Amino acid sequence: MNSLHTYLFIALVLFCIGLFGLLKRRSLIGMLISVELMLNGAGLNFMAFNRFLAPDPAVGQVAVLFIMGIAAAEAAIALSLILALFRKIRSVNVEQARQLKG
Amino acid sequence: MGEALQQQLAYVGYGLYLLLIIAGGLAAVMSTSLVRALMGLILTLFGVAGMFLLMNAPFLAFMQILIYVGAVSVLIFFAIMLTKTPEGEAGAENMLEWIGMRAGLAVLAALTPAIIMATLIVKKAPAALALKPEVTLAQLGEFLTGPFVLAFELISVVLLAAMAGAVVLGFERRKGK
Repeated sequence: MNSLHTYLFIALVLFCIGLFGLLKRRSLIGMLISVELMLNGAGLNFMAFNRFLAPDPAVGQVAVLFIMGIAAAEAAIALSLILALFRKIRSVNVEQARQLKG
Repeated sequence: MGEALQQQLAYVGYGLYLLLIIAGGLAAVMSTSLVRALMGLILTLFGVAGMFLLMNAPFLAFMQILIYVGAVSVLIFFAIMLTKTPEGEAGAENMLEWIGMRAGLAVLAALTPAIIMATLIVKKAPAALALKPEVTLAQLGEFLTGPFVLAFELISVVLLAAMAGAVVLGFERRKGK
């Protein structure tokens, strides 16, 4: 299990599944879930390069930790935005959110 | 434990985590119910944590489970539950939409990077270097407080701002209406 390719392919598959979901879903929560998938793919990619190529083995792990922190912040913001939008239009469907006025 | 047995166990673990990641990912994007999609996401997160373990990063695997499975998925679950309407789950999508043009375009859009990157990986990816020893937690901490100290401080500011922003946005004004 010491090949860079295998891990890069998993990261790619994960990213592409997430991208597909992001474009297919119309509900904001579904899109949020897809974004989390994509972030995980990116983290896996960082970790794979770190494990097999990086001169310093700690850099990639730090990058993955930062990705996790950003993802947590993003999820908190997304939750409150979704709730605010839901109070306004009683739906989480992005196609019904077409009003710019707050 | 013998070296050969360890190698075989690594293959078994790899297959198991791969299965978890792909099955969970597909469930996360395909299921009509958002709760099931969230369960798929959690499955995937466990699979990714397993991959971190295989790549000799137990601390990251632990953090993955703690932050993603413990916190982020709970947040998403809150979002699903709080946006429930009397008709049922908000945001659940029906299967018929699948046949629509949007799904086709989404497949196309997802396949484009897949094909380009897969070709690049096959043709250009360098061979792996020799195995490295596990990074200890102390080394990781030195990195976070040494060369990455600015990013480390900034991310705490980002988290604080996100938290404050979430409270402000989530605050329901009662008399304003």
